[in-house]
Amino acid sequence: MSIIQAILCGVVYYFAIGNLPFVGLWSLQRPLVCGFVTGIILGDPLTGAMVGGTINLVYLGFMSAGGSMPADMALAGILGVAFAITGNLDAETALALSVPIGILGTIVWYLRMTFDSIFVHIADRYIENEEYHKIWRANVLFPQLFAAVITIIPCTLAAYFGASYISGFIELMSGTILTVFKIIGGLMPALGIGITLQYIFKGEARVFLFLGFVLAVYSGLGLLPLGVIAGLVAVVYVQLSDRERVSE
Amino acid sequence: MADEKNKLLSKKDLLKSFLIWETFPQCCYNYERMMGQSVAHVFAPLIKKFYKNEPEKRKEVMKREIEFFNVHIEFGSCIIGMAIAMEEQKALGGDIPGEFITSIKTSLMGPLAGVGDTIWQGVVIPILLSICIDITLGGTVAGAIIYAVAIIVGAYALSYANFMFGYRSGSEAIMDFLEKGTLKKILKGAEVMGCLVMGGLIANYVSMQTGIEIVSSTSTFNLQTQFFDTLMPKILPFGFTLFVYWLLKKRVSSLKIIGIIILIAIVGGVTGILA
Repeated sequence: MSIIQAILCGVVYYFAIGNLPFVGLWSLQRPLVCGFVTGIILGDPLTGAMVGGTINLVYLGFMSAGGSMPADMALAGILGVAFAITGNLDAETALALSVPIGILGTIVWYLRMTFDSIFVHIADRYIENEEYHKIWRANVLFPQLFAAVITIIPCTLAAYFGASYISGFIELMSGTILTVFKIIGGLMPALGIGITLQYIFKGEARVFLFLGFVLAVYSGLGLLPLGVIAGLVAVVYVQLSDRERVSE
Repeated sequence: MADEKNKLLSKKDLLKSFLIWETFPQCCYNYERMMGQSVAHVFAPLIKKFYKNEPEKRKEVMKREIEFFNVHIEFGSCIIGMAIAMEEQKALGGDIPGEFITSIKTSLMGPLAGVGDTIWQGVVIPILLSICIDITLGGTVAGAIIYAVAIIVGAYALSYANFMFGYRSGSEAIMDFLEKGTLKKILKGAEVMGCLVMGGLIANYVSMQTGIEIVSSTSTFNLQTQFFDTLMPKILPFGFTLFVYWLLKKRVSSLKIIGIIILIAIVGGVTGILA
């Protein structure tokens, strides 16, 4: 990996969690998307998107609410893909490597949430002086410069130095260790699904989890047709339960 | 709430306010005021339209709007629209106490954050991601592109519609929506659809198989292919996912669960129980 590519990885990380624009949190932050962009930087978009998508399964229903950030999926996605492409890793191994990275990355988020309070007091002073046209500086300019520094530097360094060690590191790993990595990669998506289930596995909807599973196992349908079926089933279900309520 | 004749703001002003809200709400996200400063940012270009010659009143509005605020950006954007409408009516001489605006904002942000996070991050994103990841792993980057475009366009569209709804209809309509049956129906349908997709996702993307073989003098019995696969393929991943869900229900943190998964993989991999 060249230093330019490493810096670009750092910039992707900044846009993924810097919240400028805000929708970056819903789009570029997801490993599927930032993995794809990292893949473009490293000259292999398809591998980037596929490895990123696999890593993303772990973070499916991860919720950032009330200023919390349970895992830094952007850093996991970008570095996981960068290491997968430079070190020739398969998706499961990259996933197993990226999960601890995602835990480490949350430091950046909490650092920001804490230090950004300083800029609010600058805005308070602007209001006191009736300089309302300057509020954007306190709300966007200063905190975003700060965010750029604390995101681009660590991610660039990790991508650059990590990539040069990764192939040697993987060579050291023999049969059993590699098997363990693959098992981790296979099991970890259960966490992403489990977290999502916390919000939707409720009451009468429960049975549909089993239905979806059985349908997928025996029909071999992909998620897109299954999603369409699921949407239709949901409409029918709501209509039927509505009719019952009316007739009662 | 906003009377057609009694307006200080043009459509362009509203569009600009909306764009500031949807684009910069978390540029300076912090523990002290959360998104409060961003609300002040939204009001900054409007304030001279509200009070042309009364600097003290301008300052009063800005001080009120920079207070603590936190909500789901897209679902809560109706609160910003509503707050703008209320400040506009107040500036036009309406008898609206400042504390009233603050208390309405604060009382709405909790419920809308709860509903918004559940629907958006708990249902919409997981379903859309599941489908797009599946498309991508089929060997095309289209999945990643479709997801990014759909979620960005969806976020801006929902947020804009909601912002204008709040501006036009006011706080009572928002309360009404929160309490009426429509929301419950949407939630129920989302749960059904989400459960179905998650079931399919388990079958496709969680993998767990045992390597246990029972060898006798005459034959080998492979527990995975000759027992579990004939019982029901993917039964182990399904059971394991329910186990993780159960742990989460028991309030085991996701960090600990990651540790447990790694531990299971090491023990299982070394002993050959898992393959």
